[in-house]
Amino acid sequence: MSTAATLAAPGPRLGLLGWLTTTNHKQIGVLYMATTLGFFVVAGVMALLIRADLTVPNHPIVERQTYAELFTLHGTGMIFLVIAPFGLGLANYILPLQIGAPDMAYPRLNALSYWLFLLGGLVLMSGLLTRDGAAAAGWVAYAPLSTTGSPGSGMDLWIVGLLMVSASSIMTAINLIATTLLYRAPGMIMWRIPVFCWDMVVTSLIILMAFPPLAATLAMLLIDRRLGGHAFDPSQGGSAVVYQHLFWFFGHPEVYVMVLPYFGMITEIIPVFSRKPVFGYTAFVLTTLAIAGLSMTVWAHHMFTTGAVVNPFFSAMSLLIAVPTGIKYVNWIGTMWGGAIVFPTAMLFAVGFLLNFLIGGVTGVMIASPPIDFWAEDTYFIVAHMHYVLGGGSLFALFAAVYYWFPKITGVMLRDGWGRLQFWLMFVGFNATFWPMHMLGLWGMQRRVVTYPALPGWGTANLIASLGSAVLAAGVLVFLWNLWVSLRLPVPAGPDPWGGYTLEWATTSPPPEFNFETIPPIRSERPVFDLHHPGAAS
Amino acid sequence: MSGAAAECTGAMPGEATLQAADIQHVWNVFLLAAIGVAGVVYVLIFWCILRYRRRGDGLPPQFRHHTVVETVCTALAVLIVAGLFALSYASEVRIERLDRRPAATVRVTGFDWSWRFEYAGGGPTVTGTPDHPPVLVVPVGRPVHIDITSADVDHAFFVPAFLFKRDAISGLVSAFDLVVTRPGVYRGECAEFCGLDHAAMNFTVSAVTPQAYDQWLRERRTAGQPQGPAASGAGSP
Repeated sequence: MSTAATLAAPGPRLGLLGWLTTTNHKQIGVLYMATTLGFFVVAGVMALLIRADLTVPNHPIVERQTYAELFTLHGTGMIFLVIAPFGLGLANYILPLQIGAPDMAYPRLNALSYWLFLLGGLVLMSGLLTRDGAAAAGWVAYAPLSTTGSPGSGMDLWIVGLLMVSASSIMTAINLIATTLLYRAPGMIMWRIPVFCWDMVVTSLIILMAFPPLAATLAMLLIDRRLGGHAFDPSQGGSAVVYQHLFWFFGHPEVYVMVLPYFGMITEIIPVFSRKPVFGYTAFVLTTLAIAGLSMTVWAHHMFTTGAVVNPFFSAMSLLIAVPTGIKYVNWIGTMWGGAIVFPTAMLFAVGFLLNFLIGGVTGVMIASPPIDFWAEDTYFIVAHMHYVLGGGSLFALFAAVYYWFPKITGVMLRDGWGRLQFWLMFVGFNATFWPMHMLGLWGMQRRVVTYPALPGWGTANLIASLGSAVLAAGVLVFLWNLWVSLRLPVPAGPDPWGGYTLEWATTSPPPEFNFETIPPIRSERPVFDLHHPGAAS
Repeated sequence: MSGAAAECTGAMPGEATLQAADIQHVWNVFLLAAIGVAGVVYVLIFWCILRYRRRGDGLPPQFRHHTVVETVCTALAVLIVAGLFALSYASEVRIERLDRRPAATVRVTGFDWSWRFEYAGGGPTVTGTPDHPPVLVVPVGRPVHIDITSADVDHAFFVPAFLFKRDAISGLVSAFDLVVTRPGVYRGECAEFCGLDHAAMNFTVSAVTPQAYDQWLRERRTAGQPQGPAASGAGSP
């Protein structure tokens, strides 16, 4: 056990000016994560309004325009302002620590990334304040609905906001890759960096491949809307199908930007609480790379029903991507196998991830089949599938990560009792909300409808979903309460409350400004474990 | 409509079209595979979390990989996926096959926020509104050829009981066949978000005997093609 005497003093507390001007990776990471929490609450309230609206058949409680704004901003917000940037924010904080670096490679670029992200998110949402309302064309913003079909300025603000967010993501991706390639501590060869770092490097590569096309697409959309362009206007030689191609060429890789970081997080957490090394480190890295490669070849599975793409190719690629993803389950189960497992809140959420994500995974295989997709596409089956991946999967892993790294970041523990209550509320609430949507989709309930007829079963399934969303929200409230209590009545965490494996646990909580005074020798991907168990085979 | 509602939900609808029978079959196999794989994985996960609880301070065996397990799992996954692909591909080829001599050819146009059905060969044109959804009358047991497009934003022609939809996109005409095998009245809806009245952009497919279909065509020709929903009724569901 490292003694406090060998560790430097924690970093100084910052004033307002300090937070506004910081270029330190840890403070920027905290800003990122706190901002995503804010957007999470906003986009979550929107989801609750959507569920409230759909509770009873034929009884919408919001206007059609408002409803469209709600699901557009809920989707855009959760995707671009919560799930994707939380991974980048956590990486900002944790990745330099895990590779033994003093900071990110480009600290000022890093600060620019964060402020662009915050500003972009606010601009995106600011359409709510305009007279015509916010963007209301869905998060996919298909042209021509997003061009001639959306005359209001809310759509322009949405486009400009997303352009800023995508520029921010590209900068962060460059920064993370440069940091990992150039700033590793002596001994930290690439085959020893923690799995989370590998996942962030690969995520960053995907961002570099997918986000420039997104930025180009958004720019074309803006030109079509305001500068007389006709890229997506069929009546002038443009093509609405091309918009879908461009959007999904970004949009499907984006799914992995929202999933790979979370694979990485639980792959840090499961080994520590199983007291074992990760099973199949090499396989894990190779499958992550395979997913990144395949993720660029599957986009048109979102377009099976257009009748305008070569369905068998995209179907084959989409089915194939299930293989490397499935191997990860072998890694996770193999890691727990024969272990000595404990279940603090972080591990509960990690296991919750395994249970939920699996359902999103197998339904993903189903809708990779064009015949099944002809049935399920644009129905609530897709809504269920995608929420099992990003909500039951990524969001559960997000909370696992919060409970795991909160002590490192703040120096105090989150309360385990409140954490357990939060987990069970969210687990039950999540499944009650989204499981019935599988059935609704197969029965034919289409997405993005403000109300629906009272067909047999529809009312009951929607009622269960709406009640479930209230339970889910109660879980989030418990989390906010836990944050409040834990910060107000702090329980000191010490440098290493979990018996962690990676270098962030070899320094103080929170770490000093430049992270380390000394770094333990690095002979494997878990140097702190080696330090504490010199006899154990590594 | 209330009598038809049960058969219109699409809840385990049986097979209303030839294509739906194929899709239902693919679904059944994929569902079995999903339950099988997920079942095995769940058993393994629950085995781990029940069996391998921490009991005491000792370090468990620190093994890092198992080449045989990893290879076998990868091979199994590839085999399962290849089998599913073969099944799905063969089915898709059948579903998308176009009959060279359809009994009816209809041009379907989606617009904000209803549908227009134009029967080829001097047949009638049926145009709906959100309050008066149009009816697509088709002969049972005969191939019906549909050419679909949009007059404005993207829409999607979706009949839940047929387990099938196809997008309506401006500037693109895409074709498919339907062979309805069971007479009845089927609920149809727009599945691609298209703006304010997306949820009200419904239609009905009325599948009647070929004799009744021919008679309907004759009546519509002599009646000078009145607009609106067919007399057979099926108002908004």
